[in-house]
Amino acid sequence: MEMRSRSNRFQLAALLAPGLIVFGTFTAYPIFRLLWTSFCDWQLGSMLQQPWIGLANYQDVLSDSTFWTVFVNSIVYTLVTVPGQMLIGLFVAVLLNGIRRFSVGFRVINYLPVITSWVIASLVFRYIFNTEGLLNYVLTKGLGITSQNVRWLDTRWSGLSVAMILGIWKGVGWNMVVFLAALQQVPADLYEAAEIDGCGAWKKFCNVTLPSIRSTILFALIMLTIGGFNVFTSIKMITGGKPAHQTDTLLTWMYHKAFSTGKFGYAAALSFIMALTLGLLAIVQIKAMKNKDL
Amino acid sequence: MRSKRNQRANLLRYLLLLAGAVLCTLPMIYMISTSLRPNGALYEFPPRFFPRLSAVTLENYQYILTQSKFYINFLNSVLVSVSSVALAAGVSSAMAFVIGKFNFPGKRLLFGFIILTMIIPGTTMIVPQFELATKLGLVNKLWGLIPFYVAWVIPFSTFMIKGFMEGIPNEITEATYIDGASVMTVFLRIALPLAAPAIASVSIFNFLTAWEEYPWANTVINDTSLRTLPIAIAGFFGQHQFTQWGYVFAMSVLTLIPVIIVFITCQKFFVQGLTAGSVKG
Repeated sequence: MEMRSRSNRFQLAALLAPGLIVFGTFTAYPIFRLLWTSFCDWQLGSMLQQPWIGLANYQDVLSDSTFWTVFVNSIVYTLVTVPGQMLIGLFVAVLLNGIRRFSVGFRVINYLPVITSWVIASLVFRYIFNTEGLLNYVLTKGLGITSQNVRWLDTRWSGLSVAMILGIWKGVGWNMVVFLAALQQVPADLYEAAEIDGCGAWKKFCNVTLPSIRSTILFALIMLTIGGFNVFTSIKMITGGKPAHQTDTLLTWMYHKAFSTGKFGYAAALSFIMALTLGLLAIVQIKAMKNKDL
Repeated sequence: MRSKRNQRANLLRYLLLLAGAVLCTLPMIYMISTSLRPNGALYEFPPRFFPRLSAVTLENYQYILTQSKFYINFLNSVLVSVSSVALAAGVSSAMAFVIGKFNFPGKRLLFGFIILTMIIPGTTMIVPQFELATKLGLVNKLWGLIPFYVAWVIPFSTFMIKGFMEGIPNEITEATYIDGASVMTVFLRIALPLAAPAIASVSIFNFLTAWEEYPWANTVINDTSLRTLPIAIAGFFGQHQFTQWGYVFAMSVLTLIPVIIVFITCQKFFVQGLTAGSVKG
C-alpha cells in the first residue's frame, strides 16, 4: 500500500509518532547514554562534570576480581538454568503431547510458577531453604540424611544453587507451552514415514521431532540466555549477594556499584560489557543452529 | 499386546506429569499454609508442611486487610499496570500497523533496531534510566513509572502485533481505501478489530510484567504511600530484624489472586501469544 495523499502520509506519521517518542526517549536514548557514560568519569559527587576518560572504566571493571566472580556466577547460572529449563520443559511438552485427558489442567498447573512474581517466589524459596526452614528439617529429622542444618544461603555455590533451582522451577512452564505448540505443528506424516522405516520412539524423537522444532529451540535458547543474564530479583531476595558479593550476579553487582557506591561510570561499563557478551552469544547461537544438523 | 504397551506408556506419562504438577505447586501450597498459621513463631518448630487444623487462623489476612497501606499499594499497582497496558496496546498496535502494512524509507532499520533492543535485559539500563527520570522529574512519582513500563514492552508488543497485522489480507484494506477511507479509518475500523486477539494476548503479558515489576519501582519510589505491591511485600520482608513470614505470605497470596484470575480466564489467549513468536521464529 503506497501513501497516496498528503493527509494519509500525515496520518501514518501520527500513528508512528507516539510509540517512537516513548521508545526513543525511554529505551533508545538510555542505551546511547549508557554507551557514552561508560567512557566518562561519572561518580556520585561529580554529577555535573563528566570528563571523557576513554577506556578507564572498562579497565577498572576488567581488573576487578569481584567482577570476575560475579561474571562467573552469571555464566554458571545461565549454563545451568537454560538447559535445565529447556530439557525439562521439552520433556513435559512431549508427555503432554502424548495424552488426551487433563492436558489443559496440567498445562495450567505447570504454568503457575511462571505467573508467580519473582519477589514472591524468591521469598518462598528463601523460607524453604532457610537454615531453620522446612528443607533442613526434612533432611535432618525426617530423612536423617544430614545430622546438622545446612546453611544453604550462606555460601557461594549453595546460595547460587537455590537461585538456580528457583530459576528452573519458574521457567519450565514457559518452555513447556512454547515447545508444545511446536510439537503440535510437526506434520503427522513425517512420523508415519519414520515408523514405516522402523524407527523406535527415541529415533523418531531424534530424527523427526528435534529437526522439526529447530527454530523454536533457537528462539527459546536466545530468550532464556537473555533471561539468565537478567537474573536480579531472586538474588537480591534470596542471598542479597552474601557472603561478601560471592553470590552476586552481573546485574546485582552493577546495581550495588551504581546505587550503593555511586560509581555510575563503572556500572555503565559493566552493563555494556554484559550487553556485548549477550550480543555475541546470540550470534554464536544463531550460527551454530543454522549450520549444524541436529 | 500393542495396546497393553500403550496403556503402560500412558500410565507412565500421567505419573510423571502428576509428579511434575506436585513439584510445581508445592512451594505455593507451603506459602498458603504458612499464611494460615499464627504469626507468633518466627520459624515454627518442628516445621510442618500443613498447619495443624486446630491452629488454622486468618489473623495474618485480618492484619493485612485492616491496614489502609495495603489498599493504597493495591490501588497503586492496579493504576500503574492498567494504564501501562492500555497505553502500550495503543502505541504498539499503531506502530505495528504502519510497519506491517506500509513501506517507508528506513523501515527495516527502524524495526531491526527495535527488535535488537530486546537483547538487552531491562535492568541493564537502570543507571541511564534513573538519570533520565531524575532530569524529567519522574522520580518518586507513581505515574512516573508508566512511561518506562510502556517503553519496556513496546519492542515485544510491536513485534507480536506486527505479525498479525501482516496477516490481514490486502484485499480487505485496499477495498476500503478505494471507498475513500483514510489510513486512520482503516486502522481503527479494520486493523484494530482484526488484530484484537494478538493485542489481547500481548496485553496479558504486559499486565504481568507491570504487576510484578520490582527492580525499577524499588529504585525510583521512596514514599511508602507510592509503593506498588512487589515493593510493599519486599519492604515487609526487610522491615523488622525478624521477618514476619505470616504477613509476607498473606500479602503474597492476596497479590497473586488477581494474576491467577487473569491467567485462568485468558488462558486461551496466553498460549496464542506465546506461540505466535516462537513457531514462526
